[in-house]
Amino acid sequence: MSELLERKVGIVACSGEELAEGTVARLAALKVLNELRPRDTVTICLPLFLAGGAGDRAFARLHPTITVDGCDLRCAARGTEKYSSKPAASLVVNELVAECGLKRPEGRRRLNAAGQKAVEATAERLAALVDQALGKEVGTEPAAEETTRPLHEEEREVACSCGSGVAVTKLSIDGRTVELVALPLIFRHLRDRGLGQDDEAARELFDTVKIYNAVPPEAEASYREAVRREYATYCQKEKTP
Amino acid sequence: MPEYLETTVDKFTFRVAKDRLYTPQGAWVFWMKPESPNRVRIGLADYLQQRSGDVAFATVKPVGTKLAVGEMLGEIETIKTMVELPSPVSGTVAEVNAALDVTPEVVNQDPYDKGWLAVIETTAWEADRAKLLEPEAYFLAMQAEAKEELKKL
Amino acid sequence: MNPEKTRVVVVPCSGIGKPFGTVSREAAYELCEELRPESTRLVALAKLVLGDAAARELLAQYPAVTIDGCKQMCASKMVKQSGGTVAHEVAVLDVFRRHKELKPEGIAELNEAGRKLARVLAEEVAASLDSSEQTVKGASHV
Repeated sequence: MSELLERKVGIVACSGEELAEGTVARLAALKVLNELRPRDTVTICLPLFLAGGAGDRAFARLHPTITVDGCDLRCAARGTEKYSSKPAASLVVNELVAECGLKRPEGRRRLNAAGQKAVEATAERLAALVDQALGKEVGTEPAAEETTRPLHEEEREVACSCGSGVAVTKLSIDGRTVELVALPLIFRHLRDRGLGQDDEAARELFDTVKIYNAVPPEAEASYREAVRREYATYCQKEKTP
Repeated sequence: MPEYLETTVDKFTFRVAKDRLYTPQGAWVFWMKPESPNRVRIGLADYLQQRSGDVAFATVKPVGTKLAVGEMLGEIETIKTMVELPSPVSGTVAEVNAALDVTPEVVNQDPYDKGWLAVIETTAWEADRAKLLEPEAYFLAMQAEAKEELKKL
Repeated sequence: MNPEKTRVVVVPCSGIGKPFGTVSREAAYELCEELRPESTRLVALAKLVLGDAAARELLAQYPAVTIDGCKQMCASKMVKQSGGTVAHEVAVLDVFRRHKELKPEGIAELNEAGRKLARVLAEEVAASLDSSEQTVKGASHV
């Protein structure tokens, strides 16, 4: 079982190419995944799911899924139920269009204006279903502090050149520039736990740093001191608004 | 077949082979003892290859190239990003995976076996080895990174 | 589309996780709506896999061209598993390797490079279909 299991909703869209409604389903799913509920949703790639994608199928067994189909064939809903488990909810675009009194979408490759409206309506309904599946109040927007919080230090740090995005901090140790990874994350983790700068905290700090960074044994004392100073600087900055 | 440490984040499972060492950035280093005690094989760890995306091109320095630790061993261009691969050890490039020219996607499909990148004849293995992470340490680092990536959504 | 002139069924993967999935979809539209509308028929992969009778009938009658976004090759795999014959399988990644200046971005909407890549892919498939047809015609005249 995953140690990082966090409740999310899998979205399975039919993406049917033959009808405009399939394109609506696809675009509505992407709108929810990327704009409306990015933290709460995960995309399930239907072709991969059908072809045996283990990760997608396992996710759909452990987490609620919501399917979005273009038409009554309900390929996404049937496929999800067949290869994983019954979806928590299902949307069918042509039914929703009729329910909302919208014009039928046209243009399977480039949706017309009616198609764009159908995307908006489907995405809104899908977002509401996501909220329901997660037990949230329908229409919950991300909390203000999540969208307006200032960038933390680590988001301005240089990202590791491997492309992983992990912050790399350069410290001067024994006259050389040394790169240590994940320092801001480690610092924040300690602060969040309420640890100060006493000897015990310093020990824990350095033990954690050594998990993520190889420290030459002969230079351990210098590294320990450099990290301790950097942490003190971090704590000072955190106090200052 | 090595044993693996595994973690699942959303629908992605990341594996860490237990029979090799790792750089913090996500390259693996397999010591080829006892057959070739002076050689190591190098590749990308599962998390790094998944995070980077489908490999379109993989170029590695040719056989005979001498490298110090940190000097560029290769570049992996994926559909999302360019992954630079600094050499985790000092030595000379002894072999380059021929599959990279024809089917570079093997790096994604089989990162710990057929998707290897290069073999290096090492010149300072004991010293270089001390700077690498044991699989358990890399696993924790990788887990933390994966978690942070989720929070950045 | 003239059913009597249909030569192949086109099945894109339309994967939603990567721009290459959208390229597969766009290339299928380009092929079936612009380049060879008379001789191609677009079929949704999921319909086929889940047993739609009309889709299976088409697959029984005509060979398939599959267009996959990535090397998982879901469309090609699933068409074969559904009893179809894959006359031509294309991986967008392979086409991209021949045209690395056309790096696709965007999933909901492709960038210009992505649309061009789709067009290049569709043209390559169209040329391949034309070549196969010529071979068949040539053989029939022997």
